[in-house]
Amino acid sequence: MPQLRKDPVTNRWIIVNVENPKGAAELRVPPMERSSKVCPFCPGNESMTPPEIAAYGRRGNRPGPDWLVRVIPNKFPALRIEETPDKTAIGIYDKMGGFGAHEVIIETPAHDHDLSELPVEHVELVLRAYRDRCIDLKKDPRFKYVLIFKNYGASAGASLEHPHSQLIALPIVPSRVTGEVKGAARHSEYSDRCVYCDVLDQDAKPRKFTVEERGGFVSFAPFASRFPFETWIFPRAHRSSFDAIPDESLRPLAEILKSTLQRLRGALGEAPYNFMIHTLPPQGRDDGTYHWHIEIIPQLTQVAGFELGTGFYVNPTPPELAAKLLRDQEPKG
Amino acid sequence: MPELRRDPVVGYWTIISTERSQRPVAPRQRAVSDERECPFCEGHESRTTSEVYAARREGTKPNGPGWDVRTIASKTPILSSDAALDRYGEGLYDLMEGAGHHEIIVESPKHKHDLDELAPAEIEKVVGVWARRILDLAKDPRFKFALLFKNHGVISGQGQDIVRHSRSQLIALPIIPKRVKEELLAAKAHYDRRERCVFCDVLRQETSDRSRIVAENDSFLAFCPFASRAPFEIWILPKRHSPDFGQIASTETPAFASILKDTLSRLRNLLDDPPYNTILHTAPYRHGKKEYWKTLDEDYHWYYQISPRLTRAAGFEWGTGIHINPTPPEEAARLMRETAPEVR
Repeated sequence: MPQLRKDPVTNRWIIVNVENPKGAAELRVPPMERSSKVCPFCPGNESMTPPEIAAYGRRGNRPGPDWLVRVIPNKFPALRIEETPDKTAIGIYDKMGGFGAHEVIIETPAHDHDLSELPVEHVELVLRAYRDRCIDLKKDPRFKYVLIFKNYGASAGASLEHPHSQLIALPIVPSRVTGEVKGAARHSEYSDRCVYCDVLDQDAKPRKFTVEERGGFVSFAPFASRFPFETWIFPRAHRSSFDAIPDESLRPLAEILKSTLQRLRGALGEAPYNFMIHTLPPQGRDDGTYHWHIEIIPQLTQVAGFELGTGFYVNPTPPELAAKLLRDQEPKG
Repeated sequence: MPELRRDPVVGYWTIISTERSQRPVAPRQRAVSDERECPFCEGHESRTTSEVYAARREGTKPNGPGWDVRTIASKTPILSSDAALDRYGEGLYDLMEGAGHHEIIVESPKHKHDLDELAPAEIEKVVGVWARRILDLAKDPRFKFALLFKNHGVISGQGQDIVRHSRSQLIALPIIPKRVKEELLAAKAHYDRRERCVFCDVLRQETSDRSRIVAENDSFLAFCPFASRAPFEIWILPKRHSPDFGQIASTETPAFASILKDTLSRLRNLLDDPPYNTILHTAPYRHGKKEYWKTLDEDYHWYYQISPRLTRAAGFEWGTGIHINPTPPEEAARLMRETAPEVR
């Protein structure tokens, strides 16, 4: 019997196959094919990218190919900083200038090292770049939301294979974000508690959905997972904004991110995935009800007409099974 | 120059960004399937699950040849018809047994890949069966909504429609899904403010503006919506205000069949048989609960959405719900108008 489950924050229902669940073996993905084209993100090819915004790990201050993490504007931006966020009406329609920022965070000079294969201190640098860029962009009040995300693998939407993540700063708060923030506030209205803290507390004993807890962070397979092996990472303590993360928490976050990506890779092979950092909109008031987190969604199934029409996802792998299979993985160092 | 556009109904924003179209795209995979292997072809009835309904020629028997459109239970249903509607909680969480109904509507006895390859009279029959099955399922009080949709072609990287035989799927659900409810609530909000149907407003504006029109006849308008989430997204709206596809008039059926054929064949010719999804947006089952959607008859308007799958939702779309569309809908509509529909 399939089961319907409701996400406690967004009220989104999913259909999960508890009867004959798909485990890791059925979903495993073979290694990716590598292309031999010249890569604009490789060291030495810096001139192929737009001018650098920031770089980490260079020994001197001189620009050169000895960086570890590099932030550049996206060459094919979805939104442009030169535009103005002017709002206009065309009859019943509304439009706005395509103002925004679209940046690429090149995670490593090594072309074929995924984030999960980098040393922990290198992952920490990547997270530091994320945080610093959020803090910098937040200064411009025209940005209402900054999304950090990663597309890994062609079927997850990556058009270049060199490991990179992206950042898009928007002149609006997207409706999906508003929906989540409102959902969390709704829960708090009648409970005076944070819904995400409640979710983590409910799983403290016995651990059904928790994959791992370390260094003040928890990786977790959410109850109403839309995708097989969907995994979220939360700070265990209540924190609303990613960009407020202190320096000393970047290392433990890097550790759990690396370990989670390794567990996923161990279970699913080189599965394409997306991750997104969900955080409180920077210009909004913090009423203490939102809890930032990273959502990792492996792309193993194809969203089709039913999901598009209903917003209702069909998940072949119950999250409790995914959590168990991920717990059983031994992450490397 | 990129531009943000807001959908007038639900209010989602879309980024129209032509620069993104210069990005490298992966080559498309093609599905090939052999007629002899196809379980949906006439004569192969024994290879499918048992027949739910069929538009049959006189004197033929169920589960045998002699049909024009045939409906069968899904082999891999995502919801089960036998489940009782049981809701319960687990601490913070809400659960429900997966009661529902999932069937496949095989649209031709012949091995045709796409609906537009059928003759207009054949498509009319298909449209008739869509309406009939939606109305039949309305009789079951467990169901609140039925979604008719189509997954056509193969999206690169993932197998989707491996058998090239034209069909739709129909799923009846015990709840009104969130996305459907959002659209219903948004249409109601527009009506509450202006006492007009938002879709009728859209029809009026598109009819006078004309830049986004793909095709038109006496009863229907096909156009690329202002805030199209997918390149070459098309909506087909009935010109007569009507909330419920099931109530399509017998006089409108030929016009709907003809605009479907016209639109789908232009799409195939222009984009070389692209993969696409279709979704029928129609009123939920009301079971006499008039108070729930008091003004639904006035505020909601059914339509048929066609969404080609030429781009891929990635982290940005998942994180924000905002889609990036590389083809402005005016451009898409112009190209569609300039493409000759197939005459068969």
